[in-house]
Amino acid sequence: MNLLANTVAPSALVIDGLVVGAILFALGLVGILARRNLIVMFLCAELMLQGISVSLVSWSRHHGDWGGHVLVIFVLTVAACEAAVALVFVLQAFARTGRLDSAAWQSLRESNLPRTIDRELPAIDTVPPKFPKLAPAGVEPAADEDALHEREHV
Amino acid sequence: MIASILPSISPGTLLAGGITAAAASLWLLLPSGRSGAADRTARWLGWLLGIVALASFLATGHRLGSVGEEAVFLTVALVAVISGAATVVSRSPVYAAIWFAMALAGVSGVLLVLGGQFLGVATIVVYAGAILVMFLFVLMLAQPAGLAPYDRVSTEPLLAAVAGAVLLGILSLSIGRLTAEPPACCLMGGTKAALLADSATTEPPAAAATGIDMLADNHVARLGGELFGRHLLAVEVAGVLLLAALIGSIAIVSRGAADAEPAAARRAVP
Repeated sequence: MNLLANTVAPSALVIDGLVVGAILFALGLVGILARRNLIVMFLCAELMLQGISVSLVSWSRHHGDWGGHVLVIFVLTVAACEAAVALVFVLQAFARTGRLDSAAWQSLRESNLPRTIDRELPAIDTVPPKFPKLAPAGVEPAADEDALHEREHV
Repeated sequence: MIASILPSISPGTLLAGGITAAAASLWLLLPSGRSGAADRTARWLGWLLGIVALASFLATGHRLGSVGEEAVFLTVALVAVISGAATVVSRSPVYAAIWFAMALAGVSGVLLVLGGQFLGVATIVVYAGAILVMFLFVLMLAQPAGLAPYDRVSTEPLLAAVAGAVLLGILSLSIGRLTAEPPACCLMGGTKAALLADSATTEPPAAAATGIDMLADNHVARLGGELFGRHLLAVEVAGVLLLAALIGSIAIVSRGAADAEPAAARRAVP
């Protein structure tokens, strides 16, 4: 705590930004740990990156320099690269297993860990979706024989 | 402030309760393989607990300078946090991606309020415009019809929620210690008001210490000057990284397509 003894305390806005960043990061962490769909896991990683970006910009605001902003621009760049390469890997994994399931690759786990076994899931109570029905409007015009022939001369 | 209405509850307790409620809410909301009425009950309970958690976070929060600033910040922060939670708990990955776009809108609003004008716009353009569309393309290519079984269950939702709560608790503690001692989260009444009134006025000196006013004119021009001046080498390296990622992903796709065909043929035999 004495590290900050000689500096100015962050303003309320900076603190709030840091809190929002922390919440987003924690949410992304929970998602990465719990979800099994590979694409949702990557979305959660991006959520963690967003939390980091908010924190960096908050600190930039506090210190009054451009360091945080520049770092966030590089975070954006690296996130774009990461998304491109990761999605290619996901597509390859899907081509090999036919699933977007992280547990499809559980043969890569440590040898002392138990195997993930899917239990039988109860059927989803299927309620057929209600789509809006449009009243039929207008009449399809009869095909004009002459127009078909005229078109060839144009 | 709710904390002043309920003076018997200290803000620290309120924050701990909020984090616990958030963890319980996430645990209930994460896909668990339940079905029917039990699933619906768990989700209702989960959203209810989530609202309780958000309310307690708001009650422990700070007051910003002006009402307008506070209203805008609260709106965009709530959009970001609620959409982020919905991203994590959505069963369908397509809905998760759409909720993530909403979270990006909220985050870009937070960046705008914090003075990152260029970054707020760049987040929308780069993330929502490019990266998210790429995610949706892959989903369209690879998503089976209906809900896959692995979208309806999660690995250890309770442990994951507890891990998130512990992380959030540690982060909140360290953020609380940033303000002047004693921590602002444990101050009550007049001291808190005095501290906050003080901290509201401390920002200009903090910014003035280095001589840069983030909110002055020509924000983007000055950011560009910094980026292509002091950080020119890093920009070049980032460009090389983008090129390498482009070439790498093309190479993996073309190599992998040849490898995957025999595997698919083997799968199709039985």
